[in-house]
Amino acid sequence: MWRKVGPAARVATGIAIAVLFILPLVWMITGSLRPTGLPPARTIEWWPSDPQLSNYAEIFDLLPMGRYIRNSLFVVVVAVPATLFTAALAGFGLSQLRQPWQQRLLIYTVILLMIPAPAVWLFRYQILSWLGLLSSLWALILPAFAAGSPLLVLLFYWTFRRTPASFFEAARVEGADAWTSWRRIAMPMARPTTAAVIVLAFALFWNDFTNPVLYLYRPDTYTLPVGIQILKQVDSTNWPLLLAGATLITLPMVFLFLVLQRQFLHDDALSELLDRG
Amino acid sequence: MFRSYDGQLRLFLLPFLLGTAVLIVAPAVLTIGLAFTKYNSINTPTWVGLENFQNLLASPLARLSVRNSLLFLFMAVPLRLVGAVAIALLLSRPGRIYGPLRAGVYLPTIIPEGAYALIWLWILNPLYGPLNAVLGLLGLPTPDWLIQPGTAQLSFVLMSLFTIGEGIIVALVGLRTIPGVLYEAARVDGAGRWQAFWRITLPVLTPWLLLLTFRDLVVVLQNTFTPSFVMTYGGPYYATTFAPLLLFELAFDMFDFGGAAAFMVIMYVLTALLVVGIVNLVGLNQDADVA
Repeated sequence: MWRKVGPAARVATGIAIAVLFILPLVWMITGSLRPTGLPPARTIEWWPSDPQLSNYAEIFDLLPMGRYIRNSLFVVVVAVPATLFTAALAGFGLSQLRQPWQQRLLIYTVILLMIPAPAVWLFRYQILSWLGLLSSLWALILPAFAAGSPLLVLLFYWTFRRTPASFFEAARVEGADAWTSWRRIAMPMARPTTAAVIVLAFALFWNDFTNPVLYLYRPDTYTLPVGIQILKQVDSTNWPLLLAGATLITLPMVFLFLVLQRQFLHDDALSELLDRG
Repeated sequence: MFRSYDGQLRLFLLPFLLGTAVLIVAPAVLTIGLAFTKYNSINTPTWVGLENFQNLLASPLARLSVRNSLLFLFMAVPLRLVGAVAIALLLSRPGRIYGPLRAGVYLPTIIPEGAYALIWLWILNPLYGPLNAVLGLLGLPTPDWLIQPGTAQLSFVLMSLFTIGEGIIVALVGLRTIPGVLYEAARVDGAGRWQAFWRITLPVLTPWLLLLTFRDLVVVLQNTFTPSFVMTYGGPYYATTFAPLLLFELAFDMFDFGGAAAFMVIMYVLTALLVVGIVNLVGLNQDADVA
């Protein structure tokens, strides 16, 4: 149906839609550069007349940003590698398992995907309280040791399933154990998936707002997404300040995504994702 | 040797299986038991039978919250699905330009929820926000968005339409599984593009779309928690009190864990009914080759 409108119109539509989707980010950044106290613009303002970074400096004066940044960094530095490691191993195990266990565990993993997050809030709170982990950053990190999200295990499973079985057979004949096969054969062939999982795992822990709200009670354990909300209590109509806060927590995530997205969103990677060996 | 290889595989799966059993399955299942007790997270739970359910059914707020949630799902899920498929169709072509465009439409999906809520609080500001500035420029009505109950719910739907990156990727991957030969054959038979879409693209995508729909029913509702917590705290007039926020209030504000668990069970049942309804509607005759 797109051939009729021609390739140029197709590209133009694509660009228009992409611009629309980037608009919230653009408005966040331009809004954050507006000097405070200036009367609000009456029309749409694409770039502030006198852009300033003073709002960012003010956030560091108002909030214990050093502590929030340290907490957030600690969580991702521990949780992202742990997630990648457990998810990749589980995905590999799943792809190499014999029937009927492979089928059974696949169904288990898909069911996990369908359990709504709020369903675990109440008892996870209990479990964390029994373990003495309430108001500890480990309350946020704990899921990383269970692969972070079942989706990440499935991503690795789909990837490893497409690696020709003969590769692993050959390695096994030569005496390689499962660990060596995973490290030397499976992982080097799973670069796009690894990049995607790093982005998704970082998003899971860096962006996390709900779990800190549920399980962190002491302000000195707050991570950036919760900490930044305090700006709303300080000055709820100071839009440039709030948007500067939003920008601060968004930029590292966007940066990582832009660096790694080529690995899994460009053409070769997408078709590689689908090549059935 | 063989045995040790398989033993190692089981070892690889152990953290994932054990961790999810303790952190996801056990909590989700035990919540069902908790629904029949009175429990404040400190004292021992006491059995109260169906009392929690009776209280919830009698509570106008619980009923309103279920209604809000279902209304939201009926608006957001189909729109997100159509949007994801349309964008995937548009951007599935190979070509240098499409990679960056795919990254562009994925971007809102990775914005931290807490930041995303603040951004939309600004975008939807009725007086100074950029959305009403654009609408005003075009001579369109400029609603009060988060201040009126009806438009507040629409605002939440609007916000949810930008975070469909996961759906777009799944649809893109699904599209790539369609062999080009099918389209060739259709063209030889004189089928138009539109016909090819209905006869080939959509049937092949169906299992992927079903998986996506079920996942979206769960995800899109739980994702209302942060915006309703940050932007409106359930208001105005409880219009944005969706199920996750009410669950949070019951459990962590009023420490009525039993009531919260019962509310969760009601949401489980409603979601299951929706899933069964959709399966009946579409018919699951193709075997889902997704997993």
